[in-house]
Amino acid sequence: MKKILTIFLLLILAMITFCAAKLNVSTWGFNLDLLDKNISKPFLERYGIEIVRELGNNSVRLTKLISQKNNPVIDVVHFADYYAVLALKEGLLQPIDVSKLKNYAEIYDFAKDPIGNNYGVGYTVYSMGIVYRTDKIKGPVTSWKDFWNKEVAGHISLPDITTTQGPPLMMLFNQIYGGNAYDPELKAAFERVNQLKKNVVTFYKTSSELINLFKMGEVWMAPVQRFSWGQFLQTGLPLAWVIPQEGMLGFLNVISIVKGAKNLEGAYKYIDFLISQEVQYAQAMDLVDSPVNVNVIVPQEIAEKLTYGVDHIKSLIFYRTDFIVENYDRWINKWNELIAQ
Amino acid sequence: MPNKMKKYTLLLPALVFLFIFFLLPILSTIVESVYQPQKGWVVGKYLQFFTQRVSRIAYTRSLTISLLVTIVALAIGYPSAMAIVSVPNDSLKSLLMTLVVFPLMTNPVARTFSWLAVLGREGMINNLLLSLRLIDSPRRFLYTPGAVFFGLLQLFLPLMIISLVSALENLPKEVPLAAKSLGANAFNLFTRIYIPLTVEGIVAGSTLVFTGCITAYVTPAVLGGSRVLMLSTLLYQKTSVTLDWGMATVIAVVMLLTTLVVNYLSRKISTLGVSKG
Repeated sequence: MKKILTIFLLLILAMITFCAAKLNVSTWGFNLDLLDKNISKPFLERYGIEIVRELGNNSVRLTKLISQKNNPVIDVVHFADYYAVLALKEGLLQPIDVSKLKNYAEIYDFAKDPIGNNYGVGYTVYSMGIVYRTDKIKGPVTSWKDFWNKEVAGHISLPDITTTQGPPLMMLFNQIYGGNAYDPELKAAFERVNQLKKNVVTFYKTSSELINLFKMGEVWMAPVQRFSWGQFLQTGLPLAWVIPQEGMLGFLNVISIVKGAKNLEGAYKYIDFLISQEVQYAQAMDLVDSPVNVNVIVPQEIAEKLTYGVDHIKSLIFYRTDFIVENYDRWINKWNELIAQ
Repeated sequence: MPNKMKKYTLLLPALVFLFIFFLLPILSTIVESVYQPQKGWVVGKYLQFFTQRVSRIAYTRSLTISLLVTIVALAIGYPSAMAIVSVPNDSLKSLLMTLVVFPLMTNPVARTFSWLAVLGREGMINNLLLSLRLIDSPRRFLYTPGAVFFGLLQLFLPLMIISLVSALENLPKEVPLAAKSLGANAFNLFTRIYIPLTVEGIVAGSTLVFTGCITAYVTPAVLGGSRVLMLSTLLYQKTSVTLDWGMATVIAVVMLLTTLVVNYLSRKISTLGVSKG
């Protein structure tokens, strides 16, 4: 009797799971418990749609999308802006009809159409500023040019060209020293970094690598992404975050709809939900993602760890990602020639 | 006859597995790198690989470091393996083997990061040299080819020792004794008894170490950084950043062929030694 009952219950459970509509989301494998709490659970309760995540880093997930091009499994995809442009070039995305998004008017202008023609919506922003050891460097550090100061020589690190932050930083250097960020050769930037390379401990590839270098006293000053600032503070080192006078670099993570998505209606609901004030607030309070929704208000101690606040947001510089995609191969080759000796 | 049949049937699962999950993907990779259905024969990427200065530098660097690590691992590993095999106490022997294998059981990322603490500006080696007054300011050891060499040596030495230990254990104890009783000196004993009879272990260990070195990614990436570009870090650039699969395939094939050639040569050299003996 008990057995029959169990089987019956299992059948019902199976029916419920199969009946509930599903939305296939391709995203990163970070903070999954918080994503369940802030997004999956409330989304299922409100719309009856179950979110099924496919996890991986940008390039792995992009490769999968390319291989499924003719019969896509994924409905919506999260990408760093660079990879969103690559996906767009591969013809993997479809434009979003933003008039269907109720919360669209509430997000920052820079997040509204980051890769062009509404092929994606920016749903979280992060900055890159300068972090330095206040006990080792007298400072004050105020400018990106301070990396060329004698005082910091041998104690700095810069992002490698192959990181997401590498190319925009080179464009910024070119803007500062050559007067133009959009130089396909990045002549001024390469000249300057080539001069600087003997003073650079290493060109870092991940933020965890950089945190380690700070901890060991190897590096005193480096460009840092805001989302890892909390971990830098946890080291207990005397550190300061600087908004350089030239501005900070801004980066967006983008959400897009896959061309040929099976659950188009669910995809729109998901995107609208993701940029809503309530989800953006919940994600900000848990320090998962900094909000792009202007109506999100967080307390001071949270704000200090996010890309948040008028001064912070106002200083952000966004470069066109398609320009990076167009020239990236040449820049990496040039970098390998000059730096990888 | 049925006995023979049985043997092959037992082999079947492993053969099928290797064919589907190893041979087929590798063959399709190689074929794809020279022949594409839409374009026909393509060798342009190979030309590009060997004419570009950067990839040539990465290739020779990978090759040199891997060969050096293999040779040094053999030189350090052989005496250690002989010492382990000669231990009469079985529990002590298994303890020693556990110690040898221990580095293989730690996470490669954690292990590589702990090298930073040793080689860093405020690391153990610099502090030691400073306190001995051998240097007057911290030296840069990190992010040099030397750092990659030591990292890889530590990582793959256990593979060499394990291969040599199992080869030495298969060597009948009476053979060296007989040689000695017939008047062989230590040098002759080593070159004409030990080496020829453990050639399989030497070749296996060297292949494992060399292959491991040339394909290792984390160690060169963390200990070498951008300024010590190697084949595996170049491969990473092509697959994960620029999505240049054509070039990535070429690099992978070059790695594979290099390993096969080195394996073939090491076999050749070792059998030469045997026939002389």
